[in-house]
Amino acid sequence: MNRTTLILVCVTIGLVGGSGILAPNARAAPGPTLSIVAPANNAIVGNGSPVAIVFAVTNFNLTEPDAGPSTPDSGHAAVFVDGGFAETSSTNTVVIPLPSGPHAIRLQLVMNNGSALSPDVTASIAVMVTRGPATGAPGLSIASPREGALLGTDSTVSFRVTNFVLVPAGGPAGVPNEGRIRVRLDGANYSELTDDAPLHLNLKDGPHTLTLELIDNGGQSLTPAVAASLHISVRALVGRVQPFDATPYFALANVLLGLGIVAAIYRKLEVN
Amino acid sequence: MRTLQRSSGRGSDSRKRSCVLALSLIGVLAASFSASTAKAVAPTLTILSPSDGALVPGGDPVVVRFAVSDFTMVQPGRAGQIGGPNEGHARAFLDGQVVRLVTDLEPFSLFVPSGPHTIRMRLFADDGAPLSPDVSASVRIIATQGPAAGVPSIKILSPTPLEATGHGIYVSYRISNFTLVDPHGQPNAPNEGHLQLLVEGIVVMEVVQYDPVLLVSLPDGDITIAARLVNNDGSELTPSAAASVAIHVAASSAVSLPLVSNGGIALLLAFILVVLILRRRQAARANDKLRVEKP
Repeated sequence: MNRTTLILVCVTIGLVGGSGILAPNARAAPGPTLSIVAPANNAIVGNGSPVAIVFAVTNFNLTEPDAGPSTPDSGHAAVFVDGGFAETSSTNTVVIPLPSGPHAIRLQLVMNNGSALSPDVTASIAVMVTRGPATGAPGLSIASPREGALLGTDSTVSFRVTNFVLVPAGGPAGVPNEGRIRVRLDGANYSELTDDAPLHLNLKDGPHTLTLELIDNGGQSLTPAVAASLHISVRALVGRVQPFDATPYFALANVLLGLGIVAAIYRKLEVN
Repeated sequence: MRTLQRSSGRGSDSRKRSCVLALSLIGVLAASFSASTAKAVAPTLTILSPSDGALVPGGDPVVVRFAVSDFTMVQPGRAGQIGGPNEGHARAFLDGQVVRLVTDLEPFSLFVPSGPHTIRMRLFADDGAPLSPDVSASVRIIATQGPAAGVPSIKILSPTPLEATGHGIYVSYRISNFTLVDPHGQPNAPNEGHLQLLVEGIVVMEVVQYDPVLLVSLPDGDITIAARLVNNDGSELTPSAAASVAIHVAASSAVSLPLVSNGGIALLLAFILVVLILRRRQAARANDKLRVEKP
């Protein structure tokens, strides 16, 4: 009897445990999840475009903040950029304009009252924003003057950059496809260009070598280096029509006339 | 015989029943088939705007409007969601990259840099899988910083034709229906680009400014200055948008100053010398006269 009772108790416990106590835990709704669909981690966002973050959730209803009671299966996403709160989103896409440079973006699901879920549900990515294009190898060429040109003292140099955007100094280092142009004249630093305006030169007579090189925001050469060189000759009066220049003859005449005047005065004194 | 008749009567009854059953079955099947056909209307997706091949001017974002039929837009991943066959969401792709996950029919805007782009929208089921068969729509657009319409043109305002100038001169111009943008390798786009200045047919400067441009070291004589609008890659517009002006360049007074001053001084000195010589001769004659009168 005791044995039968024991078996019955064990069977009952097994049935109750299997169907009534353990099952609810096994069937409990899984917790919310969050994943970032786009952009990909470490993506480069080009052209200074705002960053469109597309994310997906499961077991979570996206609702406007403060809309309805706070429950762990509804709320919105809080967006953090570089550790600081940026904004909230109750839709699956959030668009954030970001300056050039690397950025860490973190999304966190929060309840309607703004408090985090327990356990915390977050997703993070890193992106690099550049004002230049996202892809393509930078290039640099000199549009004018031509190689070996003979120029006057004053001249201008026009250049073209491709897949690269010129920006003022002071931006974050390591940003691809943006920076400035370092100008070297005869091997020495001459200036740095931060826009596409032509370079104005005022050079002394003789041969000169001009080198333009793309550099990043940190002032470092690109890898691989991108540069263009130009050899020019400068002659002050190039392009000028020069008729007979009597200036030196006039100068000589002045001297002779001066001597003549002195002689005339001296002779006059002698006569007196 | 009766038995035979009965049996044959039973047989005809059973055939009637079979016939009725078969007809009923066919009817039920037909009804269910037609019902299932009605339920299985495929969703559609249409991009209402922009239209295919549209020009998006002024650097503005492009606003995408779309419509779906037989499809309910819902947020994917809702708590307790049981996905239906004709519900889900849409995803927008710009040049193949996901840029929006859309859960309603509200228009949305996309930032698009200059150049041609493809916008594609595609319907997805609640589980994140694309519908099968695929339901999508796409349009091609061209974005530009320039205006939507009008023929680009340029007019040189200064110098004026046959104007006499020195070796440096400001060139001012007026540009219409064209926007100047920094060329940095971006694709060509209608009504945007930069400006080339030419002296005697040779490009001497490329600029992106509307303000007057200083040209220096111009050669002496009668020369032609030209300005033309070009695409982002430096190629000429089609049709060409250019203007030119003929001017006369001569040395400035500053250049001839040494010559003039030296010549002037020489004249002055010569005059002094002549005066001295004349006075000396006059004095000599006076002395000679005195000598003649004294003896």
